[in-house]
Amino acid sequence: MAKPKIAFFDFAGCEGDQLQIANLEERLLDILGHVEVVSFREVVTGHSDDYDVAFVEGSITRPEDEIRLKEIRKNAKVLVALGACAAIGGINCLKNFMAENVYREEVYGGSARWFPTYAARPLKSVVKVDAEVPGCPIDPVEFARITKELLQGRAPWIPDFPVCVECKQAGNVCRYEMGKMCLGIITRAGCKAACVTEGAHCWGCRGLVPGANLDAARIVMDRAGSDRKATQDLLRFFLGDTGAAL
Amino acid sequence: MTTYTVYKEQLPGLFEKWSKLYALHVPARLREGFYDLVPWKKDLEIAWDYDVAYNSAKRFVMPPHEALITYDRRTCEAKPVFDAPKQILFGVHPYDVKALNQLDQIMEAGSPDQNYIRRREATVVMVFEPLTVSSSAFWASVGASSVAHGFDLYWTKIGPAAFTVEVGSVRGEELLGMNGPLLASTAGDKEGARRAKARVLAKARKNALRYNWEETPRLLAKCWDSPLWRRYSQMCLACGSCNLVCPTCYCFDIREESDDQLETGVRSREWDGCMLEGFAKVAGNHNFRPKAQDRYRHRYFRKGKYIYDKIGELGCVGCGRCVRACTAGIANPLKVFNELWEETAHEY
Repeated sequence: MAKPKIAFFDFAGCEGDQLQIANLEERLLDILGHVEVVSFREVVTGHSDDYDVAFVEGSITRPEDEIRLKEIRKNAKVLVALGACAAIGGINCLKNFMAENVYREEVYGGSARWFPTYAARPLKSVVKVDAEVPGCPIDPVEFARITKELLQGRAPWIPDFPVCVECKQAGNVCRYEMGKMCLGIITRAGCKAACVTEGAHCWGCRGLVPGANLDAARIVMDRAGSDRKATQDLLRFFLGDTGAAL
Repeated sequence: MTTYTVYKEQLPGLFEKWSKLYALHVPARLREGFYDLVPWKKDLEIAWDYDVAYNSAKRFVMPPHEALITYDRRTCEAKPVFDAPKQILFGVHPYDVKALNQLDQIMEAGSPDQNYIRRREATVVMVFEPLTVSSSAFWASVGASSVAHGFDLYWTKIGPAAFTVEVGSVRGEELLGMNGPLLASTAGDKEGARRAKARVLAKARKNALRYNWEETPRLLAKCWDSPLWRRYSQMCLACGSCNLVCPTCYCFDIREESDDQLETGVRSREWDGCMLEGFAKVAGNHNFRPKAQDRYRHRYFRKGKYIYDKIGELGCVGCGRCVRACTAGIANPLKVFNELWEETAHEY
């Protein structure tokens, strides 16, 4: 059987997710042994439009991005969104809450009118996405597992429960019991509660967990003493494209 | 059973010896108001007056992630994985041992869970009679204030620097005697232990069910359609925290992952919980408990009726961990059972 051909693409984002994949080092060589990489500019040179699986990083922020993404979708049998920007819009969506002239002026200065942009959005707002590797940045271990599942013809799995589960597995003291805020209660797990385990709190980078109870979450945050503005800032940080952002 | 009297100055020597043979875990303060069993090291201050360990003892016998088998796709062979580190849990409270004893019964039933049983056998349990009671605990009213078995040694603090130690197993007695001959407890020491227990029981009884805990399954049988389930579950975040911190919740999910060559792999289990939305999802994406209300009610039936119907005791030992862990403030067996009791009081 011929090896499946894979390609990597990026839109608005920092390419940090592809860097995470490159960071797999020796493991990457083993995994890439099962595939033929036709395009991956952080690791190999060259490009081809003949591929089976497209890993796409970054969010869609310009009308011309849509044309390019639809082209990728047409070429690929499987399209995988890589990272928070691609999967949920991520921090690029912060600008969606600002006036267009303000953010264009801020980014492009006097040349603002040369660069048309529109509200940032995830890939799934434009094309059908077959699988997601969420997170900012992605967890390379999860990327490896999902890639292997795709190679084996299995349905790629990402957790459908909130970060609280992984915090409890890790034995962390709950941020709310320490009088702090945390978005773990509504955020999709899979990061092994990395931020909380390291002493911070959850920022929601993996997107909303399916069925997130946002009304309850707001009440919990209110009771924890967070004012409405602080809650709003936290929810807009990564979840700007979701129903969670106020 | 024999009871010995042991003095505080003997402990460092014993811990030193034990820690060479076993992974030794002792109660310590994590931060103001938070305690847990942590690996012992020299000069670690033991939190004798801890109210509740933040994490239950479940993780020592049923870890959050556990490999069950390894497989090889080339030879179509699978081998069981048994990992059972020798460990001592020093200072576990009686209600947590009661929870372990309950897990023992459930894991032995039907097809015995070999992974669990081996870990449990490799685990030395040293009970410590609590000195303080967590504000969310209610173990004295659910029959979990003492245990008759399931431990190797039972420690009770009878003075500033003295303990009585009741022997629960030969293994426990040998460990206690590792530094030389032991002093049998006097009648006065044993009376001291009885009084220590009476003192903590008086504190623990402040939070109590308004009825005899054995009525709980009959109470729940009448409450399937109670409006309470919806009222509380509206706030449910379906985060599973109440399940995962529960010392008697044992549900797990099974996952498999191949190695990077796609030749061998590991099948493992990890903690799961009935409050999670995906827990009851089966083939074809059908979910037989799709609503938070269904799941919330299920958990209380599980704790108050289904486990009782199996083994004659509540699936709740009153540790109060779920009460603390629930950010939404809706997990509270004591409150739920008492409110259901009030609701149905006119029927008695």
